[in-house]
Amino acid sequence: MDTFPATLLALAITTPILVGLILLAGRDLPRSFASGFAFGGFAIPAVLGPWLLILWSNPSTAPQQFQSEGFWGFGFALNGLGAPLLAMTSLVGLAAGIKALTQEVEGRNTYLGLILFMLGGTLGVFGTNHLVGFYFFHEFALIPTFILTLFWGGEGRRPAAMQMAIYLTAGAMVSLAGILIAIDASGVDYGAATFESVAHGLQNAKSIPAATGALVLFGLGTLASLFPFHSWAAPGYSAAPTPVSMLHAGALKKFGLYGIILLGLSSLDITGGSLGTWFLWFAVANVVLVGLICLAQRDLKQLLSWSSVAHMGPIFLGIWVCGVSGKADGLDAAAFLMVAHGLSCAALFLLANAVRARAGTYRLDELGGLAARTPILAALFIAATMASIGLPGFGNFWGEVGIFLALRAQPLWLQALVASTVVISAVYALRAVASTFFGPASEALEKRFASAPFGDLGWAERFAAFVLLGASLTIGFVPSLITKSVNPVAAGITTFSQHNAKTPVKVAPAVPTKR
Amino acid sequence: MILFLADIDPLFKVLAPRPADWLSILPEIAVAGLSLVCLVQAMFLPKALRSLIPITARVGLVLVAIMALTNGPWVQPTDVASFAGLLRQNLPTDGVRMVFLLSALLTSFLAEGFLRDRDAAVADYHHVLLVVTAAFMLLVQSNHFVTFFLSLETAAVGLYVLVGYLRRSEASLEAGVKYLVAGGLSSALLLMGMVLVYGALGSAGVADSLNFTQIGKALAAQSVANTISPLTLTGIALILGGVAFKLGAFPFHTWIPDVYQGAPTPTTAFLGTASKAAGALTLVLLATGPFAPIAVKLAPLLGVTAVLTLLAGNLGALATTDVKRTLALSGVSHAGFILAAVTAALVLPGANAFGYDVEQIVVIYLLAYIIGTFLTAQALVSLPAVEDHRRPQLALRGLLRRSPLLASSLGFGIGSLAGIPPSVGFVAKLLVLVLLVSAKLWWILGAALIGVAISIHYYFSILREAVVRPTEDNEELAPLEIPFGTRFLIGALTAASVIGGLFVLFGR
Repeated sequence: MDTFPATLLALAITTPILVGLILLAGRDLPRSFASGFAFGGFAIPAVLGPWLLILWSNPSTAPQQFQSEGFWGFGFALNGLGAPLLAMTSLVGLAAGIKALTQEVEGRNTYLGLILFMLGGTLGVFGTNHLVGFYFFHEFALIPTFILTLFWGGEGRRPAAMQMAIYLTAGAMVSLAGILIAIDASGVDYGAATFESVAHGLQNAKSIPAATGALVLFGLGTLASLFPFHSWAAPGYSAAPTPVSMLHAGALKKFGLYGIILLGLSSLDITGGSLGTWFLWFAVANVVLVGLICLAQRDLKQLLSWSSVAHMGPIFLGIWVCGVSGKADGLDAAAFLMVAHGLSCAALFLLANAVRARAGTYRLDELGGLAARTPILAALFIAATMASIGLPGFGNFWGEVGIFLALRAQPLWLQALVASTVVISAVYALRAVASTFFGPASEALEKRFASAPFGDLGWAERFAAFVLLGASLTIGFVPSLITKSVNPVAAGITTFSQHNAKTPVKVAPAVPTKR
Repeated sequence: MILFLADIDPLFKVLAPRPADWLSILPEIAVAGLSLVCLVQAMFLPKALRSLIPITARVGLVLVAIMALTNGPWVQPTDVASFAGLLRQNLPTDGVRMVFLLSALLTSFLAEGFLRDRDAAVADYHHVLLVVTAAFMLLVQSNHFVTFFLSLETAAVGLYVLVGYLRRSEASLEAGVKYLVAGGLSSALLLMGMVLVYGALGSAGVADSLNFTQIGKALAAQSVANTISPLTLTGIALILGGVAFKLGAFPFHTWIPDVYQGAPTPTTAFLGTASKAAGALTLVLLATGPFAPIAVKLAPLLGVTAVLTLLAGNLGALATTDVKRTLALSGVSHAGFILAAVTAALVLPGANAFGYDVEQIVVIYLLAYIIGTFLTAQALVSLPAVEDHRRPQLALRGLLRRSPLLASSLGFGIGSLAGIPPSVGFVAKLLVLVLLVSAKLWWILGAALIGVAISIHYYFSILREAVVRPTEDNEELAPLEIPFGTRFLIGALTAASVIGGLFVLFGR
């Protein structure tokens, strides 16, 4: 096996963690040195992540690529679904890092170090193939999230961080139970429990405890803000400092979806029986109810937070329809949307914070007319909004359209319901754009501008936004970058979940990872 | 003397200890000797050199720990009994000794500054601490109810002293009295149970019905023949009740919050770790040793106790706002985890997780718990407090600003107690959960997970006060100066809490 990509992978995950460690230990490091160092920690994965995705090749022969063996006992390994998510995370991490570097905060080195920890943990989630490692890295990323929210967060940080801590830990515990039961039922040794070997073991398992699927779905669903376990998400993102919201809502949250797909959908039949019915209704509620909640928001960051919950709905539906129909297209599109949503959502959080830095508020009724003063910010924000509501050209388009197309064989009312949300999301997103950037500026804003004139978006933030929107445009125009690695996995899972033992299973090579 | 007795009756020749017997408890003898050295030093050293006493104790403890970790005549195979069957090293001896030695060592670090600030004698504290440690180390090797009871009582008497050690503090004295009364009750239960077992099995023809090996054999034979008398079972239940008291398991946990809160914080940490460890390890010793033949009867009892202990501890802790009280009740829930692990071993003999058997898992759990407890306690003790028994969560406010080091100590400690990856506490909990899954004990698994979810609330409430940015910036928050020794200790324990977990998972 070519060890070069494996080294890149290990480097991408360990660099931010090591740099974070040094920054945490060196609280008094001089500012310029710490900044340069931290930038390196953010930038190195951002180069390596997309590079690894481009290196990804010939997936039909090797669904498991870039495996480094024996590292930390559960070698880092990238699968077809993890590769694009890792690349997306690394770009979101770069943008979040640049944002963090431009902020003036108390205890700056600690702040940067914790964000690097969060980034490293999130990269680890997608860069390990081992079920325990996957869980481990997620928790590893969550703890800095709480601390960052508590100390550096905005209004309402205390209750929001506690609510988030309780929901996410409860969800993590439920999913841990599901994961452990699944590993036990599969008969695989815990040391060799990769997604593939467990899925393979579960296929041949004599009996799987009935609740396993539900534990995995609702446990991981909580972490991915599946209705009705979503109520932590919007306050949590709103109260967190912007780089944390970007990383959490954009990248870390995809942990839940990733696990639901690779463990639940592939081998625990989460879309069958009454569990499947519940799943469908919850996903629909995510789309419709949370969409309506978004309509009621009067605060820009709250709106973005809620809309990021609402956008999980189509992804859940894509996963659901794949399980129900046995066709891979729903999952292809869902995975595509996972990547694209991460980019657009992070860009929106980034730019919304830029709005606040200028206007001093997130309240929509106190904003207005910013386009005349900050044309570049306005243009980028509008572009990010267009990406988020799924306009062609941006990555989200392929995801959303793909999911709607995958739903075409489903009952008409479901299609109608889901299609109506396109309208809802367009309404709230465009209204937010309108009341922020167009129309007359509020009196407060005029006064503020008169007393302290503000300029347009700074170069650092421009660059960060360009990275995210550029990536979204790139996958919008060259979707094969994502599909080449995702589609084989989706096809493998579909074949696999139909228990069609005659065809060779692509996603599940019988060779367990070496411990 | 003993040779002389042997002349009278040849039976004494059999009972006389061999040199190998003494060697087998060399670490225990060393710790006991060390406690005497502390006293002698206090008598002869001039005042200026008194600070050598805790240092001697620590150096001695480290040396004994090194000895305990190396292979020597003090590590006996499990099938060899010494002192004519009074002792036998049934549990993984190195790990078990380390639990108590580490706990004593860390308590010594906590105690020195704490006692000096309060004008209490440091030497006497160390003396009693080491006696208790030696007694606990002997206790978990006992193979006979006589040694069992004797070492348990030695430890208990020492602990009464340590709990009521601050004579000028009403809270400490009150806790001491409460502990004395509750401890007396538990000893009575234990003794009553032993007497019943002794009588019931003795009249059934067992030669020495206090010897664990013989009890085990007798129970095995009787359970095959289905002739276990209700008296024996009552006795066993009473004995387990006494052990549950030490462990702090439901319904014998009610003394814990008051005593832990009132006791001087170093003693609280010692009670919470060493004394709880003694309870946990004797439970493992008894449940997998002499009482193993009636595992079928014991498993439901222990399982129900585990569930109730988990719920009682966590729900109780949820309602507290005093940090020491919260940690006391959370300790009860940790006892529930240990009970759960033992239950799993009874239901599925030979159950293991990641290649560790239940005895090793309990030891790992205890070591993780020690690391978490002492990291947290270190942060508490370093904070100035008017009264040691009142440590409201609010007193932690702004800790991250006052001393990032103490805040991280608290963070890693709480994180390890709460079971957050990558801490060793997470790995310990993971091992127990894996054990429960493989034994298919779904109800206990559910209770354990609910417990963890609840525990996050109270653990994070503590952490929140320390971390959250104070809203009023004019609040007076003086930075705290931390001495070098404490800083080093916090660093070492933090490293252990992270590396320990990885080592347990991947070090084999």
